[in-house]
Amino acid sequence: MSTEILRRKSNERQRQAMTSSNRNSSRKTPPKGRKKRYPLINVGMGIDLPFLIILLALVIIGLIMMFSASYAYAYYKLDDSLYFLKRQLIFAIIGVALMIGISYIDYHYLHPAANIFLGLSYIALLIVLVLPGENGVHRWIGVGGYGIQASEFSKFAIILFFAHWCSIYYDRMDTIKYGVVPAAAVFASTAFLLLLEPHYSGIVIMLLLTVTMLYIGGINVKWLGIAVVVAVIAGLICWATGLLSYAMTRMDGWGQALEYTNEEMWQTTWQTRNGMYAIGSGGLFGLGLGNSRQKYLYLPEPQNDFIFAVVCEELGLVGAIVILLIFALLIWRGITLSLRSSDRFGRLLGIGLTSQIGIQVILNILVITDWLPNTGISLPFFSYGGSSLVMLLAQMGVVLSISRHSNIEKT
Amino acid sequence: MTKPNKGTRQKLNQRTVILLVVILFVGFGAALSRVAFLQVVKGAELSQRAVEQQLHDTEISAKRGTIYDRTGRILAQSASVWRVVMAPAYFKNDQQREFVAKELSSILDLEYSDVLEETKGNTYYVSVKRKIETKERNKIIKLQEKISQKYDELDNVIQLLDDYKRYYPYNELASSVIGFAGDDGQGLAGVEYEYNKYLAGKNGRLVSAQNSYGTDMPFDYEQNVEAENGNNIVMTIDENVQSILEKYMAQNIIDFNVYNRGCAVMMDVNNGEIIAMATVNGFDLNDPYTLTNENAKEKINSITDKKKKQKAYNEAVSEQWRNKAISDTYYPGSVFKIVTSAMALEEGVITVDDTFFCSGAERIGDTEIHCHERNGHGTQTFEQAVINSCNPAFMQIGAKVGAEKFWQYYQAFGFSETTGIDLPGESEDIFFSEDGSMGIVDLAVGSFGQNFSITPIQMVTAVSCVANGGNLIQPHVVKQIQDDKGNVIKNFDSTFKRKVVSSEVSEILNGILERNSEQGGAKNGYVAGYKVAGKTGTSEKKIDMNEDGEEDYIASFVGYAPANDPKYALLIFFDTPVGGSYYGSQVSAPVFSEAMEEILPYLGLETEYTDEELENIDSVADTYVGLTPDEAVSKLEQEGLAAYVKGSGEKIVGQMPETGSMVPKGGTVVLYTDKESAKEKVEVPDFSNMPVYEVNSVASSCGLNISMKGASSTGDSIATQQSLPAGTMVSEGTVITVTFAAQTAIAD
Repeated sequence: MSTEILRRKSNERQRQAMTSSNRNSSRKTPPKGRKKRYPLINVGMGIDLPFLIILLALVIIGLIMMFSASYAYAYYKLDDSLYFLKRQLIFAIIGVALMIGISYIDYHYLHPAANIFLGLSYIALLIVLVLPGENGVHRWIGVGGYGIQASEFSKFAIILFFAHWCSIYYDRMDTIKYGVVPAAAVFASTAFLLLLEPHYSGIVIMLLLTVTMLYIGGINVKWLGIAVVVAVIAGLICWATGLLSYAMTRMDGWGQALEYTNEEMWQTTWQTRNGMYAIGSGGLFGLGLGNSRQKYLYLPEPQNDFIFAVVCEELGLVGAIVILLIFALLIWRGITLSLRSSDRFGRLLGIGLTSQIGIQVILNILVITDWLPNTGISLPFFSYGGSSLVMLLAQMGVVLSISRHSNIEKT
Repeated sequence: MTKPNKGTRQKLNQRTVILLVVILFVGFGAALSRVAFLQVVKGAELSQRAVEQQLHDTEISAKRGTIYDRTGRILAQSASVWRVVMAPAYFKNDQQREFVAKELSSILDLEYSDVLEETKGNTYYVSVKRKIETKERNKIIKLQEKISQKYDELDNVIQLLDDYKRYYPYNELASSVIGFAGDDGQGLAGVEYEYNKYLAGKNGRLVSAQNSYGTDMPFDYEQNVEAENGNNIVMTIDENVQSILEKYMAQNIIDFNVYNRGCAVMMDVNNGEIIAMATVNGFDLNDPYTLTNENAKEKINSITDKKKKQKAYNEAVSEQWRNKAISDTYYPGSVFKIVTSAMALEEGVITVDDTFFCSGAERIGDTEIHCHERNGHGTQTFEQAVINSCNPAFMQIGAKVGAEKFWQYYQAFGFSETTGIDLPGESEDIFFSEDGSMGIVDLAVGSFGQNFSITPIQMVTAVSCVANGGNLIQPHVVKQIQDDKGNVIKNFDSTFKRKVVSSEVSEILNGILERNSEQGGAKNGYVAGYKVAGKTGTSEKKIDMNEDGEEDYIASFVGYAPANDPKYALLIFFDTPVGGSYYGSQVSAPVFSEAMEEILPYLGLETEYTDEELENIDSVADTYVGLTPDEAVSKLEQEGLAAYVKGSGEKIVGQMPETGSMVPKGGTVVLYTDKESAKEKVEVPDFSNMPVYEVNSVASSCGLNISMKGASSTGDSIATQQSLPAGTMVSEGTVITVTFAAQTAIAD
């Protein structure tokens, strides 16, 4: 598929060069980007300091809260209170180093490599399917005791691909041929592989990323409307064929974690309920840093998806607002700096990568407050998980690289 | 690559703004408002639930209160025991599971396979065994040490929790009154049930936060809410009186082959305290679920169908727990004549001087109703009518009272309501009609206590009312509630319900009933040394429960003492005696007599012997050993005893009865002067059915002393029991206790 796209893309470009001559003088020659050679290492106008500061602040706060949430669990279950902190700290250092390194690499090199990344994403998603899974779930590719979720990589590949595609065909995004078919094909094939894992929350995030990218990429909004209708129908089919059975068991008890109906349901909703107990126990100002009670084995794996519940319990509503404000600042800064990037590809890529953070934060909080089914969506920079943290920071490195070519005021 | 096109650039800007709004305002806004809702609006509820969960495992059992009898003897008590719990989630492998299961099953006497199964769970709380005692507990403590030495991670796998177990030191005594408590310390029957809220106490909480493993969290919100131990209860029951009664009741059940058990209630007529309340045979309070009735057990064992078997067992066990004194209803029979007399005298429709004629039957409308004396009692005074327990006389008295007044007094004496005794399971009466209307036949048979049903406790309460001067008092079994340190919390004094008859009527009836027990139908209820009033009763049950083809009877007796200043009323009740005799005068009155003879002195009532009785009083043998025969004989003469010297020695070397043992008044002390003569034995004769004089002459011819009990002062009494069976070889001079009962039993 990727070779076909490449072929089509070059044909397209030639046609574009011919047809646009009388509309726009700048289109008379093939796009400069094709010819221009960028230096691999590019300092540009320097990185955006506010974005970096906000980002580092989040990483540090995330580490502190992850340690607070995890030490009791680590102590009782693993006999080492520092177990999670030590690992997360190493990955945070690796991740920050990687981020700084990537920020020096000119992001334009990702433009032609988009299809290669997409290809790698498919390979990764196929590899996990043949690897022995855990409890019938195939998500992880293991490397010496540490693993990475294939979908972490796929998210980046999807954002990159659409940034690449939409920046080339920005003026034909309202056609079916350029706007809908490739997008549908890429999304549907990725979603299909995720379905086989199965990884439903991955599909949801993939869908939201696709929609976001197409929207800012300039797609005609009516296609999005139609896509919604198609998605509903597809969902109904999955429902009828029982493909959703795994998700269904997870969705059982969705929205009723606090009410006792039967013992099985009570056990199923245990984590969500105890997360809500933790949130509710926090009140306005919280019990104080380190003073969560629910993390004492009532809330299973408090360092993972439900870490924000412990944050709420310890820091209260005030702390939760402050942390969400920092996230908002990061997103705001990331999107505005991307918008002032020198080219369309950079703008789309930066906005996509930053939006991804926002989408995950929102989904995570709605899950732990029982407004969405408990399907496993982690909180960026907070939840424990080395590979995902490194992956996130690497992507933030790309945003920083974009910031070097942005004319935003950087102090 | 592409140069910004104004149109597309603007579109991107616009859409990015919308995207930012969606993410930051809609998305973050929704997430934040949801969090704020949970923290602020639902915060109190959620944190409360979280705290409850964190404190869930730390309840401390309260100690259930002690139950005392009125003299301070312990009837029920909780002692410390322990519960063994296991947290199988700690196990890392099967080797550990097998080791612990093996040790536990051998210490606690459990099946190895069952324990092994329990070790396979993934929880932190499995109750392995409850109520283990100190010995097993010490072994478990040793096992805990052994386990933690062997496997570091299993430090907390076995835990001991405090618990309590209920002990009933007197086993069967007053079982239907005291009742018992279940494994979780909740009262299930009797006083244990009725006073559960006082006895139970309040479980405490160790309010230190714990993680879900059950170990402490490092927070300082510890707060100790001590368990509040249950209150102690002092019953009105006297253990000694209760056991005397139960002893005679149980013997009588064997002697008269009583099919459906019996009950006895002793009440303080002035304040309503129940001194004793026995349902015999009872059951072991320490083992209430085991059937004591052999017949019932056999019957159940013969059932093969599992469901039917369970049902039969359930019925049998609830029958076993039934307190007959308050749950059984019966036709009161002639005992009720006390009540009929009281109402007639109070209303003034008869006087003590009225006479009544009995031809052996009375015609009421078209029905002829017989007297138990078919030949008729002839003309009798009122007192004679009571003493004869004459049915026609009472039908006439009932007719004079009239149905309306009869119903009014029936209600006034408390028969139409429960007595309100502080015990569970009190039954209600069954009168002829709900509104109290009666036909003439109903009134006639009702006058002598037939065809309406009441409970024994109602009967004894009504008789107490007649005895105490006419005041209806509510009976009660609990005297006092104390806290666990013995401070009084609440006293239960007597509850006066209403004045039913005048003290004059009461006095008249006390006199008549006293004479009834001296010479009338109730003479088998006679108690030497005391003036007692009594009335017998035999009532038809109109059913044939034991399937022997004959109608069943209740043999009852009610009496009170002293007759001139009544203090205690005692009702004796046997349900379906099938050993031949079934009259209240034969079956129940002797129990009253025997029991009261022991109980009244114990309760401190002064004896007032008649001259005749004084002759029969026993004295205690002094020491005559070491004296010369002459000295001994003169000493005995001074003491009013006869001497019989055996042997040819110079000094007394032995005596019978022995020093300090009882010798009847005017009895003979046999004195031995050598060892040879002391070896001679005589055979105990069979005294049964002999009248008093014959017993005396037979005994003196064998050289035996006789101590007489029961109705020995009336002419027509015969021996019914003897303390040593016929044929036993004893030394001369041995005292044999012979019990007498009146031969001409009144058949009411």
